[in-house]
Amino acid sequence: MIQFLLKRLIGLIFVIICVTFITFIMGYLAPGDPIHSMMGQHFNAKLYMQLRHLYGLDLPWYQQYFNFLVHILHFDFGYSYKQQQMPVISIIATNLPVTLELGFWALVLQFLIGIPLGILCAIKANTWIDTANMGTALFLYAIPVFVSAVFVRFAIAQIDQLTGAGWPPTGWGDPWQYTWPDIQTKLAPILIFAIGGAAYIARLARTSMLEVLRQDYIRTARAKGLRERIVIYRHALRNALIPLVTTFGSSLGFIVVGAFFIENIFNIHGLGSITMTSVTGRDYPIIQATVLLLTIAIVLGNLLSDILYMIIDPRIKAE
Amino acid sequence: MSIQDKNTEMNDSGELLSTAPISSPDQYLHENPLYVDNQEKKPDQQKSLKPFQQSIRRFLRDKRAVISLGIIVFLILLTIVGPPIYQHIGIPYTNDAGKQVGPEVYHNPFRHDLDFADKPISARFWLGTDSVGADLLARLMQSLLISISVATAVEIIDILFGVTIGVLAGYYGGWIDQILARITDVMFAFPGLLFAILLTGIFGPASDLFLDKLPIIGQYGNARLIIVSIAFALTSWPMMARYVRGQTLQIKANQFIEAARTVGSSDFKVITRHIVPNLFSIVIVASTLNIAGTIIGEAGISLLGLGVQDPGSSLGLMIAERAQAIETSHPWEVLLPCIVLAIIVLAFSFLGDGLRDAFDPRSKD
Repeated sequence: MIQFLLKRLIGLIFVIICVTFITFIMGYLAPGDPIHSMMGQHFNAKLYMQLRHLYGLDLPWYQQYFNFLVHILHFDFGYSYKQQQMPVISIIATNLPVTLELGFWALVLQFLIGIPLGILCAIKANTWIDTANMGTALFLYAIPVFVSAVFVRFAIAQIDQLTGAGWPPTGWGDPWQYTWPDIQTKLAPILIFAIGGAAYIARLARTSMLEVLRQDYIRTARAKGLRERIVIYRHALRNALIPLVTTFGSSLGFIVVGAFFIENIFNIHGLGSITMTSVTGRDYPIIQATVLLLTIAIVLGNLLSDILYMIIDPRIKAE
Repeated sequence: MSIQDKNTEMNDSGELLSTAPISSPDQYLHENPLYVDNQEKKPDQQKSLKPFQQSIRRFLRDKRAVISLGIIVFLILLTIVGPPIYQHIGIPYTNDAGKQVGPEVYHNPFRHDLDFADKPISARFWLGTDSVGADLLARLMQSLLISISVATAVEIIDILFGVTIGVLAGYYGGWIDQILARITDVMFAFPGLLFAILLTGIFGPASDLFLDKLPIIGQYGNARLIIVSIAFALTSWPMMARYVRGQTLQIKANQFIEAARTVGSSDFKVITRHIVPNLFSIVIVASTLNIAGTIIGEAGISLLGLGVQDPGSSLGLMIAERAQAIETSHPWEVLLPCIVLAIIVLAFSFLGDGLRDAFDPRSKD
């Protein structure tokens, strides 16, 4: 177990170093001089050299990269090129809570919706409940998140016109506050975000439950004369849930990517939207920081799901 | 190729995660025989059919997949022959300046004419016009052409790289296998879309200067699609290589490979004659499923404003242009590309699922 964890940790550090290198080298090779564009029309050769030195851009690339890594270890992501030289960390600190909240609820809801639905469909396999739910899940899983977001915004607008409810179409309330207006703005993005993942989890839960239900020990349990309810909840359900733990890691990946679109369509100012503005504005310190943050989230999610898998299922021996 | 070779291919494509819905435990049991012995003693009437033909039969029986294939073929034909036909249908009219304007002008996806902005469906504009007066049907066909071209370009690189490196990693193992494993690790942590956003965002504006000058592909703001394609190809081949590697490992363990080696075939001959042909099904299935992802990705990148630029058309761009104004006016203009995108993505994923079920031995009946 400890050996496995060590091995995984080394792999994880390797992956993170690779990702930082890729983002760094992209910024380094990018055409255009950031200091030049930062100074705009007020170009001044002396100040230019000073700023270059301040941002460490006068060093060779390997030294820049090394400094970058050292600074990351001190949680120092440097200063923004564009936003009046604000520290990157404070820009991220204002935007991160929004994305965290969005992602957290999406993650929680997709398991809360997906698992019961999948189990229900497995129990009622081949009935209309199963066919209808799985058919919908298939659609929801395949359709990109921005398409469903547009459909939902349209639906909200139509309902609004009919009832005059005054549902706010876009934006985001105060982070982690749940008054009625907050819920109104947050509900649609969170639900859309969750629903695609929920569909995926429901399909997996159903397959896994069906797999368990045809095991011998379930037949034994039934043969003993146990009530169906106990067979399902006590004997089958627990084992059916084990493979779902592994989806946790990939769900985080979905959420990281989906955040870009959800925040774009619903005008939410989170991590995805600052990454987008810094990509179009070529504000490399922010890009590097956000990309690092997003990849660390995914990598840790994968590690966590592997560890959970090992804890829950003692049959799995680490290789 | 002998039946024996094909059989091994059929038995071993279990690398793809099967998420296809299974309708009932009974059906599941039926499709997945518990007793492996049964597979060896095939019924007599199946003996005459090659496994590949069996797969095709299974595929043809899958209504959803066949309909999806039909839709895809229709859409591809539409993108190729649609625009020239559409630009010849329509009655010329005389504009304010007294000039004759024919269908080849007003059915051009790149034409802007504010006099005809936001027009509803009519005989002149079959699906109406958008906010700058461009014909929506013409733009949709152009967008689909973009989607399909990007997907094709990505798949060509994906298959080329994925199969070459996957086979080498599976056949030889060793350092090439190690490198592949590390690359896939990184790719798992670095979502393809994020990579594409960075690549297009950082190199897009500068590359416009020279990519714009390329004939055909570079025109009408499509230049950045080259970067988009490269980004998606770079992030998708490791997955393909992993599937291929797994499959190669299984094929390699078979007797016919050993036999080929015994009679003195070189490694090159074993790989090209005996391994690569057996990878056909897994490559087809994996790339069909990947196409759906690529189409979503291209639309997404264009939606974020990093892909196709202004005069051009992309499903994502068409959605982005009007998505923020959906409450106020003309929802049709944004719902239409959404629906088309949903249809094409669903068609490719259903086709991929169908192909997987057809080629997957576990669903053999």
